[in-house]
Amino acid sequence: MATLKVEIVTPEAALWVGEAQALIARSSDGDFTILPEHTATVGDIVPGIVRVETSEGEVAFAVHGGYFQVETSLSEGWTNVTVLAGVAEKTTDIDVARAEASKGRAEAALGASARGESDDTPAHLVAQAALERAELRLRAATR
Amino acid sequence: MAGGQERILRRRIKSVQATRKITKAMELIAASQISRSQARIVANRPYRNGMKRIIIEAAKGDPAAAKRLLAPPEKVDAALVVVVTGDRGLSGAYNSSVMRAGERLVTSLRAEGASVRLFAVGKKAAAFYRFRGMEVEESFVGIADKPTFADARAVASTIAAPFIDGEVQQVLLVSTRFVSAGSQVVEVEQLLPLSMPDVPINDEPKKLEGYTEFEPEVEQLLFFLAPRALESEIFTALLEGAASFHTSQQRAMAAATENADELGQTLSRIMNRARQDSITTEIMEIVGGAEALRSGK
Repeated sequence: MATLKVEIVTPEAALWVGEAQALIARSSDGDFTILPEHTATVGDIVPGIVRVETSEGEVAFAVHGGYFQVETSLSEGWTNVTVLAGVAEKTTDIDVARAEASKGRAEAALGASARGESDDTPAHLVAQAALERAELRLRAATR
Repeated sequence: MAGGQERILRRRIKSVQATRKITKAMELIAASQISRSQARIVANRPYRNGMKRIIIEAAKGDPAAAKRLLAPPEKVDAALVVVVTGDRGLSGAYNSSVMRAGERLVTSLRAEGASVRLFAVGKKAAAFYRFRGMEVEESFVGIADKPTFADARAVASTIAAPFIDGEVQQVLLVSTRFVSAGSQVVEVEQLLPLSMPDVPINDEPKKLEGYTEFEPEVEQLLFFLAPRALESEIFTALLEGAASFHTSQQRAMAAATENADELGQTLSRIMNRARQDSITTEIMEIVGGAEALRSGK
């Protein structure tokens, strides 16, 4: 049986490296699962939860957008998946209180900018992105 | 007077010792930062290498789009130069060697007839270039010591905008590469168009079988990947710059501490001699006076 090696890395650190049975995530084309002997692939990952199934259970990550690459050698029997994310965290590492607080802040900022008419000011976009990140963290942590 | 000289020397020794305390403290702080910033470079490496592999894979998938994004420009009418310096001084030649390399680059680009826009990371560059008649358009201050990925993103989006709008045809980066603890080199690198695929990625080339699939299509993918790759390159440069800065500061402060030690030693030797001299003179005077009294009897 071919092995599947998973690497989840951010610019600040390699979050998780190890052997796994499967990796489940979502690209802009839809949900996908990587199993051992998956063909070589390069793609994007939309903000969401990336799940890694290992022999000791499941490890999940909140990934705020990124890319992945699958490399496979059938003759040597290995498959590598690398997930590159600008920002990502293990779901068990998420600080729920902090995510709640930043969600509140983002909503307040959005409420303030909604009184003005334009919704594509930098401040609005920043608050929107912060809200999406906070919501993803909460979704991932309270799964 | 001999006693006056002694007092002046004592004061100088005290001031040298106070300076030594400061340089020693700075040396220790810098030393503790070196290992931390080195660890960050190591932690960043998997991301950087992964990003390179993906770009190369995507570039192989669509050579036509890759050529537009990655090929060197045919003619450069306007270029953008980013110089990565530190926020603080007292770091030996770290700041000045990067800034001088940047100055040479700007001069040579201008000699070729290109107009140059100058950006800088760090507080030191603006004054340096203003003195030489070059204006720094924007300085990113407060990020050089401990750069975060968000800082790199901010820098990337600022310097990519003129390139995307077609105002400049080339973006160049002047920064210090952290080769090892003993060697840091100032390098000029082309950031945009991305020059990555020329870089050897892996020591042992892996042979991949068959073709590579892309999700979404490769052209779209490459379009969105390019800014991420730029961010990654800038982040690496910032991290290596920070590590080089701390190394350079540690070395400079160690030299300053040693110098202060030496100076203190020399000064206390001079002071001791001056004190001895004044004591000798005093004894001579007493003896001379006693002699005069005795012979006067």
